[in-house]
Amino acid sequence: MFRAIRPTSTLYRASALYKNAAVSSPARVSMAMNFARMYSAGAGLARSDVEKRVLDILAGFNKVDAKKISLKANFNADLGLDSLDTVEVVMAIEEEFSIEIPDKDADEIKSAEQAVEYISKRDDAH
Amino acid sequence: MSTAPVRRSGLQRDILDLYRKCFRAARLKPEANRPHFHAFIRMQFRKHSEVKQRDFATIEYLLRMGKRQLEVYSAPSIEDVTI
Repeated sequence: MFRAIRPTSTLYRASALYKNAAVSSPARVSMAMNFARMYSAGAGLARSDVEKRVLDILAGFNKVDAKKISLKANFNADLGLDSLDTVEVVMAIEEEFSIEIPDKDADEIKSAEQAVEYISKRDDAH
Repeated sequence: MSTAPVRRSGLQRDILDLYRKCFRAARLKPEANRPHFHAFIRMQFRKHSEVKQRDFATIEYLLRMGKRQLEVYSAPSIEDVTI
């Protein structure tokens, strides 16, 4: 009889642990919010949203001067990025929008504007 | 796209392709260690930046070395690098 009671106390402790874990992981919460945003965007991505995300990627690069970032800025001439850096920027864009950009197209992306243009043509971007 | 395509030699393209492949391979590594791989890739490429553009033999040699290194580091058993 008494033995039968014991598991309940363990169970209770386990559930308490679980609750703590849920509270202390904000990552899970933000992920859920991300999904919500994606669904509300519907079929296509809003252009302003794409622009902001591309510019945010550029801002994340140490080499880029934040003051020079703009849609029209050429990666090489205006932002001072070389060909290797440009490859990295395009790879970061790939990752952000979960797409794979073929090498041929990747070579053609030389400014944020061109990146936005390319992403708007890809309907598998999200 | 409106701007003219950049003219690149075959070798230059090969290098950029290898660079891209390296970063693709880094995506398969544990997320926490990816920045280490990124820094490692950058260092491996940049340390030869003084090689002359016309020094084809050296560039081809380095490309071969890079490809072999990529193969080695692509192994799933390699989960982290230190510089």
